Amino acid sequence: MAEPTASHAPGESRRDFLTILAAATGAVAAGAILWPVVDALNPDQAAEGTGQLIVNVSDIAENTAKTVQWGGLPVTIRRLSAADIAANQDELVVPSTLPAPADFASRVNAGYPSFVVVVGLNTATPCALEGDSPSEPRGDYNGWVCPCDGSQYDPLGRVRKGPAKRNLAIPRYTFINPSQIRLG
Amino acid sequence: MTAQTNQSWAASRLPCLASLCACLNARTMAPGGSYFAAFPFLIAVLAAFLSLSGIVLAVFYNPWHAFASVQFINRDVNQGWLIRTYHATGTTLIFALAYLHLFRSILIRAYRAPAEFSWLMSVKLLLVLLLTGWLGFVLTGGAAGHLSLVNAANAALSLGGLPGAVGLWFLGGPAGQGTLARLEVFHALLGISLLLVVWAYFASRKAAAQVEPAKAVAFYPYYLAQYFAALAVLAFIFVLLGFYAPGVSGVAANHIPAGGLALPLGAGVPWYLAPAAGLLGVFPTAKLAVAAAIVAVVLLYALPWLDRSGPDGAKGKVYCFFTWVLALDVLGLGLAAAGVLPFSPVLAVLFTGWFFFHFLVLTPVVTAMEAK
Repeated sequence: MAEPTASHAPGESRRDFLTILAAATGAVAAGAILWPVVDALNPDQAAEGTGQLIVNVSDIAENTAKTVQWGGLPVTIRRLSAADIAANQDELVVPSTLPAPADFASRVNAGYPSFVVVVGLNTATPCALEGDSPSEPRGDYNGWVCPCDGSQYDPLGRVRKGPAKRNLAIPRYTFINPSQIRLG
Repeated sequence: MTAQTNQSWAASRLPCLASLCACLNARTMAPGGSYFAAFPFLIAVLAAFLSLSGIVLAVFYNPWHAFASVQFINRDVNQGWLIRTYHATGTTLIFALAYLHLFRSILIRAYRAPAEFSWLMSVKLLLVLLLTGWLGFVLTGGAAGHLSLVNAANAALSLGGLPGAVGLWFLGGPAGQGTLARLEVFHALLGISLLLVVWAYFASRKAAAQVEPAKAVAFYPYYLAQYFAALAVLAFIFVLLGFYAPGVSGVAANHIPAGGLALPLGAGVPWYLAPAAGLLGVFPTAKLAVAAAIVAVVLLYALPWLDRSGPDGAKGKVYCFFTWVLALDVLGLGLAAAGVLPFSPVLAVLFTGWFFFHFLVLTPVVTAMEAK
């Protein structure tokens, strides 16, 4: 409402002030009333409670992995052996030669390079992978094998042999301390 | 680009949208309008507000575990307790406004030609509200609501014929767990249809309002400011009720989950259903109660034609007096249904009789006498 005003009479500026005051109060009130309606549709307490999972990783032996279910997916946490780490350094396995190039640093947490956290589902045929325990088939790269289509992954979860074309997905996770991981 | 060109851009491409809005409210209105004339506007705001909070509640409500899901909303949903308070307090206020609006319409004879349709829509508003409010009361899954549902379903079973068939179709047979699932849908549909009723009310009121152009004042800013002042007062009352008396629209027995045959003593209905419950409660059989309800509704609808004073008849003092008596009568019906009056059963019969007497006899006779 830009009304052309030739002079700024005291009465007019008071009206302007009152208009702004009323509009501002109304806007704040409307916002305060409507915010709970919006906030209520955020995840409820039960969803928040199950949305995050804390996993104890201190009991995972070297060269083995543990699979937990989180968010409807099998999340596999693997503890690399010194040999695994050495065999997958970028000098030995050049990232650009892989089907889906990814270097060592991009597959692990910088502070905890001996842990690999991936979604343990084959990226071609969605089958649960084998190879968590050394007694299971692990393929040519000591990682995981898909029992359905034979895709092979290395210990970092990078695809090495098809038909899969993508690396294993890395879920959202945080190290709380060296023995606990929070998923989500 | 100014708002004016925007409007014509949209209006030229979707003309019915512009006419839908244009028939809602007059650009100019008669000066000196009462603040009470803002009631329908406040009812419209509350209907939209209840729809909004109801949508959020419907997201989390589970008719198969009604009581538990209400507790879940109260405890686990973000701001869930507040959304429930919104919905409950909004219900109390929309009913209060609907009752007051009807009362004022009778008192100032707002129903007379050419505004009969506004009156019909005002009555329809209350009827839809009563049905929606009862469904909401039942949906809580509390003991009182469940008892009311069982009574209604048994009454429908005992009716037979077409009314019984309609009742059974609506309730889906004797009250069971699945009943609440369908009632949730009906509650939502009826609640949102309130907005249509309010729209029809505004459109017909605008068509009926005759303003001399020389005397008219612009809706904006004069009446809009008045409406917003009324809205601010409503918001203040809303906050007082919502935070200091959040249980005002409920029934104590509804805090007990429905189940088994354990029925709490004194399981009543919320205050806004009490007058209707009092009126229906005096009839010994379901058939009579349904017939009485139909007669009461027809009488309310027929009020513009029961008033024999003609379009220009003066407001009579006797008619005003009896309108106030009618208000007390409806209040008394509610109090009698709640059982707080001494000799409640006798008084309920008396008040019910007076209700019919008022419309069938008093209204035509008094208005005809005062018009002379």
